[in-house]
Amino acid sequence: MDAPAPAGRLTPAPSAAPAATVAFRHLTALWVQITGTLCNLQCVHCINASGPREPWLAPLDADTARRYIAEAAALGVKEVYFTGGEPFLHAEILPLLAFSLERAPTTVLTNGTLIDDAMAGALAALAAGARYSLEIRVSLDDPDAARNDAIRGPGAHRRALAAIRRLDAHGLLPILTATDVGTAADDRYGRLRDLLLASGVRKPRVKMLPVFPVGRMAGRGGGVVTPEMMESVEPSRLQCSESRAVATGGVYVCPILSGFPEARMDGATLADTLVPNRLDHPACLVCWQTGSSCRNA
Amino acid sequence: MSTLTEPRALRRVAVFGGVYSNAHALAATLEDVRRRDVDAAFCLGDLGGFGPHPDRVFPVLKAAGVRVIQGNYDQAIALGHADCGCGYTDPRDNHYAQISYAYTLARTSSEHRRWMGALPAHRRLRLGEAEALLCHGSPRAIAEFLWESTTPDGLAARLCDDARAQVILCTHSGIKWHRRLPDGRHLVNVGVIGRPENDGTPRVWYTLLTAEPGLELDVEFVPVHYDHETLAKEMEAEALPPEFAETVRTGWWTTCLEVLPGRERARGRF
Repeated sequence: MDAPAPAGRLTPAPSAAPAATVAFRHLTALWVQITGTLCNLQCVHCINASGPREPWLAPLDADTARRYIAEAAALGVKEVYFTGGEPFLHAEILPLLAFSLERAPTTVLTNGTLIDDAMAGALAALAAGARYSLEIRVSLDDPDAARNDAIRGPGAHRRALAAIRRLDAHGLLPILTATDVGTAADDRYGRLRDLLLASGVRKPRVKMLPVFPVGRMAGRGGGVVTPEMMESVEPSRLQCSESRAVATGGVYVCPILSGFPEARMDGATLADTLVPNRLDHPACLVCWQTGSSCRNA
Repeated sequence: MSTLTEPRALRRVAVFGGVYSNAHALAATLEDVRRRDVDAAFCLGDLGGFGPHPDRVFPVLKAAGVRVIQGNYDQAIALGHADCGCGYTDPRDNHYAQISYAYTLARTSSEHRRWMGALPAHRRLRLGEAEALLCHGSPRAIAEFLWESTTPDGLAARLCDDARAQVILCTHSGIKWHRRLPDGRHLVNVGVIGRPENDGTPRVWYTLLTAEPGLELDVEFVPVHYDHETLAKEMEAEALPPEFAETVRTGWWTTCLEVLPGRERARGRF
């Protein structure tokens, strides 16, 4: 396993080509990196090099999280996402989810390892009493346990699948979220769907994400998006035109680059950061190529 | 984006979305509307897709004087896009969506494609004292889904502010709902008449809005029963996917489920 990356250890843009600028449209998604880079797993492709040792990015103070969620709601945000690290390592995760759900639909991205039956029951109760939808996204990359655990660590497949079954049994419909580490031809989507069906999940939900050249994958591809490249792309396809991420240190341009100093936006409030940004990070090319969004749908 | 404004205030209107080539449900809806003493009927777009014989709905809409805006499906068919623009990522959903789209594109006359291409994106009207904006997905994006469980009050208020409207009427998602905001403004997803709303019955829904002086805006969802068995048989005769006919007969959605939020998905069979 690679050691967690210290802050600022990112691959610079590979060329001096001028980067395109994307206008900000409206705030659709607020991402809350609640546990910083603290995680009980240490996946080889992790976008922010999270892990169990001393995190390079500290967990977010709960009051700061609440302040930004309240501001986002007032600005008309559509969805709030909790991420990390592993969000269920945060001592206040349940009250924070309750606070968020009073204001907006809320999603948690988790590896599932800490969702025991009591936690699944607590989440189901929270969802049942909430005005808006609560979604739980459980990460699992490969339907084959050995191949999955080579990426995510020993036992990760079994524990993630157990969490999915527990959540499903409690009436929540978890979304299996996979990083697409394979090839386009391997029908990973279909095989993950089949895994869920074979596991007794009657309403299988799968979300695919591409690999980004950042965190433990820094230096592996990517590049600047130039103004010429943007001529063929609808700018609204890029999630930086409608998302911001809050983490220790401030507000960041998007969930992929959350916590990295070079992606931090200037401003004292969330509203201050809803301004155009430059597509000058190697990871920007992946969004441009795939049109992928980290949102649920 | 083009917007048409109604010249005079209206008291009662019927509004529906998502015809989806379902000429039988369209006829039954308009027959019901005729008994309701409305000033006008509006359709919020998505005339084709899913059902058979797409050209059949246009003369019915025109003869009844329905005032139509453009949906993402209409825009895509008019411009000959590669797909419907719903943005599915599940290969299975894309498979079914593509069958439906290719079928509709190939069977929609050039005259009807031109007509859809000229439809306005929005309409504005006065419902009594209230300013209403009619759109397809949302006022800000033709293909944005506004589901009840994922549309916070703060977003609804923001959309009303930006549209300078006290009432927003939309469709696109396929399931009706109504939110009265604490400040008295309204967001109404009027539902669709072309496909049942994943509730286990074959009926479809349209919306009646009534603005009486001095009274709160009245929003009534009206169920419509139609000859769904004939529609299902026509779909089978046209070799459209059997999963589509199953939805028409049972009322449960069988495809394109990935866009549903958890709460709405939990209510369905699949």
